[in-house]
Amino acid sequence: MKESPIGTSSSGMLEGQKLQGMVVRRVEKELYEVFIGPQHPGSGHMRIIVRLDGDVIVEADPDIGYVHRTMEKLSEVREWLKPIPLLERMTIIDACNITVPYVNALEKLMDKSPPPRASYLRVLLCEINRVASHLYGFGIFGVFLGHSTMYMWAFGDREVFVELAEVLTGARLTHSYPIPGGVRRDMPQDFPEMARRAVRYMRGRLEEYRRIFVDNPVIVKRLEGVGVISRNKAAELGIVGPNVRASGIRYDVRLAEPYEVYDELDFEIPVFEEGDALARTWVRVEEIKQSLSIIEQAVDWLERHKGEPIIPKEDYDKLPKLHKEVYEKTGRVKLLPVHATMKIPAGKAIARGEMGRGEIIYYVESDGGTTPYRVRVVTPSARNAIVFKYIVPGHRLMDLPAIYGSIDYFPPEADR
Amino acid sequence: METILYLIAYPPLWQVLILGFVGALLVAMVAIWFERKAAARVQRRIGPYWASPRLGGFMIIVADMIRYVTQQVIIPTTVDKIAFLLTPVAVLVVTILPLAFIPLSPHELYWPVASMEYSLLIALALTTLPPLLTVVLGWASSNKFSVIGSLRESYVITAYELVAVLAILAPAASTLSFNIVYIVEAQQPVKWLAILNPLAFLAAFLAVLMSTSAFPFEIPESEHEVVAGPYTEYSGILYALNMGGGYIRRFIYAIIIALVFLGGWAPYTPGLNPFTGFIIPSLIVLVKASIVVLIMSFLRAVYGRYRLDQALDAAWRLALPLALLGLGWSIILAYMNLI
Amino acid sequence: MPARVSLKSLKRRGGLFEGIKSNIQALAVGVKYFIDPQRSTLLYPKEYIEHRPGYRGFIVLIKDKCISCAACARICPSAAMKMVRVTEVDPKHPDKPRQKQYPVINYQRCIFCGYCVDICPTEALYHTPFQDVVYESLADMFLTLEAFQLEPGRPSVSEGSPVVYEVDEERGLIKRRR
Repeated sequence: MKESPIGTSSSGMLEGQKLQGMVVRRVEKELYEVFIGPQHPGSGHMRIIVRLDGDVIVEADPDIGYVHRTMEKLSEVREWLKPIPLLERMTIIDACNITVPYVNALEKLMDKSPPPRASYLRVLLCEINRVASHLYGFGIFGVFLGHSTMYMWAFGDREVFVELAEVLTGARLTHSYPIPGGVRRDMPQDFPEMARRAVRYMRGRLEEYRRIFVDNPVIVKRLEGVGVISRNKAAELGIVGPNVRASGIRYDVRLAEPYEVYDELDFEIPVFEEGDALARTWVRVEEIKQSLSIIEQAVDWLERHKGEPIIPKEDYDKLPKLHKEVYEKTGRVKLLPVHATMKIPAGKAIARGEMGRGEIIYYVESDGGTTPYRVRVVTPSARNAIVFKYIVPGHRLMDLPAIYGSIDYFPPEADR
Repeated sequence: METILYLIAYPPLWQVLILGFVGALLVAMVAIWFERKAAARVQRRIGPYWASPRLGGFMIIVADMIRYVTQQVIIPTTVDKIAFLLTPVAVLVVTILPLAFIPLSPHELYWPVASMEYSLLIALALTTLPPLLTVVLGWASSNKFSVIGSLRESYVITAYELVAVLAILAPAASTLSFNIVYIVEAQQPVKWLAILNPLAFLAAFLAVLMSTSAFPFEIPESEHEVVAGPYTEYSGILYALNMGGGYIRRFIYAIIIALVFLGGWAPYTPGLNPFTGFIIPSLIVLVKASIVVLIMSFLRAVYGRYRLDQALDAAWRLALPLALLGLGWSIILAYMNLI
Repeated sequence: MPARVSLKSLKRRGGLFEGIKSNIQALAVGVKYFIDPQRSTLLYPKEYIEHRPGYRGFIVLIKDKCISCAACARICPSAAMKMVRVTEVDPKHPDKPRQKQYPVINYQRCIFCGYCVDICPTEALYHTPFQDVVYESLADMFLTLEAFQLEPGRPSVSEGSPVVYEVDEERGLIKRRR
């Protein structure tokens, strides 16, 4: 259905009249329509259709779907272990956080549970990914506001955490680390010390970020009072993640329904009340600090409990001799050939997790076969996309990058 | 030898052609190189490197210039062709025009025009012309982003013009003359007006930042809402003229600021022969102007971009009172015979 | 101990003095890094990174250990592994040629997830610790059985010198020549 703008009001067409598959709608003559389209330095993988009255945005329409990769359908034709690398590429920068709820759903169907050491390793990698994801968000936010130094610093410091992930799993971004029952590799010997050094370094760097970016008068002026989402509006729109925690709603999946070992760790969930872009930025800064503290606690626990298994005992007993040798020597868990065509008992399972950008929900249904019957995933950015339509109107054109960057919207994740 | 020296130091040749076109081009290239290198250093990376590792990557700018000269100029069919093609060239010519009225030596032999009596006023008036042509650029390329960019430029013009003129005329109020030569001679040897009147210097610096789209005021061509503002549709040599034009304008403003605020060729006393009387003082002024331009380039690494209405706010509520205070203080300086 | 909620609020905006102080702080940080950038840029290809042995790089086959179970081809998430049939003659029974199948890999599709290496029951596949391999045509990326058994050539070894990155407390990542 196309909408044709009519220049004058006396063209004889009535509003709402249907005309061979077209709907005629009146458009103000003074509104200036700009397509912040996919080929634009400040739009990401989406198009925002903006109607301006002078400098003020009257209407903003997000046009998403450019990066749709049919991941839910592809998961239906791949055996149970294969969707793990596939689903990870929805938000590759946050790889572990995306795959852990899927693996949790499988474990619910298979009635398995990972041993504590595997849970701690998963949480360790999840928090490393959360820090890297927030730094990525800061980088893109900085470059949208014209602050290229924040962009370069955030990506440079993200390198430290990507290096940690590489030492732990063998790959920089595409970890594919959890498997149903546990994880694939154990921690190397020099990892705890490396992690502690990285945590101390990041704490010092956060102070410098504060001085050059978060407390920079130009940036503060651009963010204060911009894109205010009040508490009721946030609940009504249904947004998730640090955005909703900056509007005063105390919601975090790690608090509401703790998964893995989050109920044994000691950390805080920062909540701000102002609801503007500056509050959202500060929520992310505080969350990075909390994630650093969780990394330290996880590494301490892992060092104290050396030598514990990372896959369940019944799976370990079924391994042949060669696999047990490889596991003892290098800490790498080998899969059995039956994993390629394993069958999971019929049933339905829902699992939730907290990614860097918000809450992710998986619904996995099995009919007893070798491939899933249905995998449905609701990502946080898909739920945050509505902010463009309802919060942006009323602001000026130059506030659009500020709002876009502050809600940390990631188009590939929203389009799946 | 003497005749060759007198020939080179012929003011229209030295000042407008060599210092004006060639010098401005060189300073623009060094400013672009320094901007990239300084931003890279603050951002903990190397910046230009592979083109000439031992020169710090300077040859990349030369390579860019060669590329722009040989690149195809794409002219869209919907533009207003005469305005589209002529305006960047006109911007360059009008930008260098103030150099014809700026003296770089106290001796009458080496002035580009016969009298320097109102040179400050004339040079300042001529620097206000190029932004008007930027608005024409937005009209010529019939592209929504260009229109938004040039409308922003017109808003910014109305805000900073007054500040620039008031702040740069403050030294004239101190020394009771519009003659740049007299202003420079009054600052010998180290009574520079930047030290005696820092308010006017700060206001002038801010005004130049705003007028030449330097960070934190890079608004008409901010990349993330309006692709490149008025310069979106350009490619090839016209693109180079546009981008370089901004830097050359900064350089011309910097020369004026170096002369009236930073003492010009003080503490050096120029002799009479062309070498010590013209070439050396002009190089000293060039060095001082380059330092001002390089500091402006450094700000790119530290600041983000203001929103349009916040930039206008900063102009009316911060820079204008500062310029008025600077003007008042310079009157007090003149009254107390400090200069 | 489960997580706790901690309610925070933004600082009140200061006046002119706050504004000047934060401007000077931002400029001071900029000048500090301008004087001492603490760079750790990798000047590839004059230098190249030597990864740790656990790095999931290009995959190599040890043909003698392969038992033709095809588990690697079955588990590959992106269908990059394929089995090819080869007629082999056992020297002890020269009149009874046998059909065996061995894996070959298509590097246009491989995502280096390492499932094939982990699932092989005889450890016949292993990862090399590098990924900066160059192919001159797309057809070369479909490896034959002979090419799959050789470690891929790495051009940076002959041109550059190896470096190792370490995490440091003051400077983040630092480059160490090995």
